Amino acid sequence: MSRQSEANAPHPRQEPRIPGPLSLARLEEVFSDCVDFSKREVYLHGDANRKAVVCYVDGQARSERLNDYVLRPLAQDPMLATAPESQLFDLMERGALYAHGANRETELDKVVFALIGGSCALFLEGRDDALIFPVATEEKRSVGEPENEPALKGARDSFVESLRTNTSLIRRRLRAPELKIREHIVGRQSLTPVDVLWLDGIADPDTVAQLERRLEAIDIDGVEAAGNLEEYLVDAARSPFPLMPYTQRPDRFCQGLLEGRVGLFADGIPLGWLLPGTIDQFFKTGQDRAYHWLVASALSVIRWMCCLITLLVPGLYIALVTFHPEAIPPKLALSIVAAKREVPFSTIFEVLIMLLAFEVIQEAGLRLPGPIGATVSILGGLVVGNAAVDAHIVSPAVLIAVAIAGVAGYTQPSQDFGNALRLWRFLLAILASLGGLTGLALGCAALIYHLAELESFGVPYLAPFTTGTRVPRGHPSLFRLPLPDMKWRDGPIKTQNRRNQR
Amino acid sequence: MKKGCILLLAACLLLAGCGQLPSAREMGDMALLRTMGIDVAPGGVTVTGSTGPRAKGIQAEDEPALVLSAARESLSGACLAMQGQSDSYVFFGYVDQLLIGGELAEQGIRPVLDYFARDVELGLGAQLWLVQGAAAGEAVAAGGDEGVDSRLETLRNDSEMGIAALTRTAGEVYTDLLELGSSFVPALSPVGDETAVLTERGYGILRGDALAGFLEGEAAKGLELLAGGPAADILVEELSDQKVSVKITSAHTQSRLEFQGDTPFVLKLTCKVEARLSEYRRRLEQEGLEQLKAGLEAREQARLALAMEQLQALGTDCAGLGAKAGMFHPAKWQAVREDWPEWFGRVPVEIQVEVKIL
Repeated sequence: MSRQSEANAPHPRQEPRIPGPLSLARLEEVFSDCVDFSKREVYLHGDANRKAVVCYVDGQARSERLNDYVLRPLAQDPMLATAPESQLFDLMERGALYAHGANRETELDKVVFALIGGSCALFLEGRDDALIFPVATEEKRSVGEPENEPALKGARDSFVESLRTNTSLIRRRLRAPELKIREHIVGRQSLTPVDVLWLDGIADPDTVAQLERRLEAIDIDGVEAAGNLEEYLVDAARSPFPLMPYTQRPDRFCQGLLEGRVGLFADGIPLGWLLPGTIDQFFKTGQDRAYHWLVASALSVIRWMCCLITLLVPGLYIALVTFHPEAIPPKLALSIVAAKREVPFSTIFEVLIMLLAFEVIQEAGLRLPGPIGATVSILGGLVVGNAAVDAHIVSPAVLIAVAIAGVAGYTQPSQDFGNALRLWRFLLAILASLGGLTGLALGCAALIYHLAELESFGVPYLAPFTTGTRVPRGHPSLFRLPLPDMKWRDGPIKTQNRRNQR
Repeated sequence: MKKGCILLLAACLLLAGCGQLPSAREMGDMALLRTMGIDVAPGGVTVTGSTGPRAKGIQAEDEPALVLSAARESLSGACLAMQGQSDSYVFFGYVDQLLIGGELAEQGIRPVLDYFARDVELGLGAQLWLVQGAAAGEAVAAGGDEGVDSRLETLRNDSEMGIAALTRTAGEVYTDLLELGSSFVPALSPVGDETAVLTERGYGILRGDALAGFLEGEAAKGLELLAGGPAADILVEELSDQKVSVKITSAHTQSRLEFQGDTPFVLKLTCKVEARLSEYRRRLEQEGLEQLKAGLEAREQARLALAMEQLQALGTDCAGLGAKAGMFHPAKWQAVREDWPEWFGRVPVEIQVEVKIL
C-alpha cells in the first residue's frame, strides 16, 4: 500500500482509547500541555502522612462544589485522619465526602473522560484506583423563547444547548415512565452525547433500532452542526428536501413523541429532531393545536397554497408571458404589455435575475447584524426595486411576481423546506424558460417523482398522500379536524398503538 | 446520474411526441388585436384589425389604437399581410370581437368560422356581430383612436345584465349552424360621421351559413322572447285610470309540436314572462293588475307572432323550437327532422303568453 493510500485509509477506533494502567503519573502524562488540568494535594485532617491528590479540569468542574463537597471534608474531617488506611477509600466512597455520587474507577480511559465531563478524581498514595466525584459546572444558557417558532398562544420555553436540560424539559411534560431516553456518543474528537427518546409502547421499536444503528455507524470527528447528524442519518442526503423535521419547542417535540415518532437530541445543538420525517410535518406549526380547528385548517391550506405559489409563480409567469400569452386574461395582458414596453431585457432574463437578486438581498440581510440587516433589506428591496422599475430596467409585473413568490415562501414553517423550494423554484423557472408550460409540467413531474422516491427511516416522504391500500391512514394532512375527532395516530409511521384517545 | 439520464431521455421522448417546443416571444413587442372585421373584397377578403388604445409605458400616455387592414385572396393571407404592416408582432390571440360585413354574410360565414376554429391563436370564443349598412372594416375603424372594443365589450356586459340585445359567440353560432342549420347574430350599424357609434340593429338571420335577412324592432324583441334571453324591456301600458311602466325581467318559451299521424300538425308556443312594475301613480288593485296583464300578454303575443311570421317566411328555426319540441316525440321528430326547415315554414303556430307581475 502506498504512503498516500495508507494516509487516506480508514482507521479503526482504538478501544480503550487511552490504554494503560491507572496512575496519577499516567494521568498527568495524558493531560500534559493541558493548561486547564489541575491537581491539588491535600493532607487528610492536616496529617502530613496521609495525603490525597484531587485532579480536575478547570472550567469543567465547579469550584464551589469541589471546595465544599470534596476538599473541605478531606481537610477537616477528623475521621479521615484516624480511620485505618485500608478503610479510607471505602469511607470516602460511602459518605465521608458529600458529593451526590462516587464511583471507584480502575481504568485510565474512564477517569480521563470523567475529568473532561466535569468530575474530579481523588487518588490516594499506594493505590491503583481512583474515586470519581461529579462536581461538574452547570454553566449554560437559560431556557428562553423559541426565536424561530414564536408562540402566540402556548408555552414559551425552547431547547437550549445543554442536552440534559432539554431532556428534562421533555420529562417535565411527559411524566410517564414509558418515556425512554438512551444515550450514544458520536464524534471521535467531540465525543458528543446524543440522546434517543421515544415512548415505549407507542413508537415503532424498529425505527428506534434503526436510528441507533445509524448513530453507532457515524464515525466523524465532531458534531458541531445539525448537518453532522442529519446528513449521516437520512437515506437520501443528496435531496435538498429535509427528511428530519426539527423543532425548538418542547411542546411540539412532545406532540411528536405522542404521535409515535422517535426524538433525537444532540448536546450543543438547541433543537430536537423527530423521526421519521414526512412532508406534512414541515407544514405544521406549534400553534396548530392551539387555534380553533377551523382557523388552523384555513391557515394550513394557505401554507400549502403558498408552497405551490412560491414554487410555480416565477415559472408560470415566464411560461405564460413568453410562450402562451393567449392564456392570460386580456386586461392583464394589456397591463403586462404596458409594463414591459421600454424594458430592455427579455422576460426570462428579468425573472431569473430578479430571483437571484431576491436571494442576494435575503442573504445579505441574514449575514448582517439585525438593524443593519433590516436596512439592507429595505434599501435593496424597496429603494433599488423602485428605482429599477422607474428606470425601466425591470418590469413591475416581474417584480410583483418574484416578490409574491418570495413572500409566499416565508409562510413555510420549516426553513429547510423553504430552502428546498427556493432551489426548485429556480429549476422550474429555467425549465419554463426552455419549454414554456411543457417544460414547467415536466419539471413538476420530475419534482413529484423525486418526492415520491424519498423515504425517511422506511416511511415514504409523501406518506400522508401515498400510503398503500394496506396501510391504515391517519387524519387529513391539509386540514386539522377537531381534536376530539383525531383519535388515530398516523398509520405509516408504524406506531404500536394507533388509538390516542377514547 | 443514471436516473437523471433516464428522466432526460423520457423528456426527449415526450417532447418528440409533442412536436417542437413552443417558441418564445416577448409581450412588450406585441400588438394585441382586440377587434377584427372581415369583408368581401374583389377576389378575396379584406381583414381589418384594431388593437384598442395601447399604453406606451407604465407611466406614459396612451398611444392611439393601431388599425391594420389587408386584402388578400384568403383570410390567412390577409392576416399574414397584416403582420408585415406593423412594427410589432401582431398577436391574434386576444381577438374578442369579430365583425362580419353584410356582403360577406350573404355569401356565407362558414369559411370564417372554420378559420377561427382551426387557427392556433384565434378561437371561437370571440363575440360575433353582423354589420348592417356598412363594411365591417369601417365599423372597426369607427372607434377612431379609442377603438371599438370597449364599446362592444360594454354591449356584451349589458347583454349579460339584461339591458342590451342578446350577444352570441362565434362558437355558439357555429354550433347552431351545425345542429340547426340556422342561427341568429346580433347586428350593429355605425351611426354618426367621423367617430361613429355602433348601435344595435336587431338580429341577422343565417340560413345555412348565409345571411337570409334581418329581424328588427318588435320582431327582434319577439326573437329574444323565443330564444329565452333576458329580454329586458320597458313597456308602457295605458290603463283606465293611469299610465303604468313595466320592466320585463325574464322570459322563457316552451315549444311543443303536435302531430297528426306522422306529420306535424301544430307548433304550440308557451311563453312565460315575468315583469316588475317600475312606474305608477297609484298602487294597482286586482282589477288593474288583470288589465295590465292582459295588455302585456297581447303585446308580447304580437311580438312573438311577428317574429314567428318573419322566421317562417325565411324558413329558419334559428331559436331551435323544433328541436326542443321534438324531445317530447323523439321517434316522430326523427322522421321530420331532415325536412324540418320546410315544415317550419308551413306548420301552424299557436302562441300563448303568460305574464306574471312580481
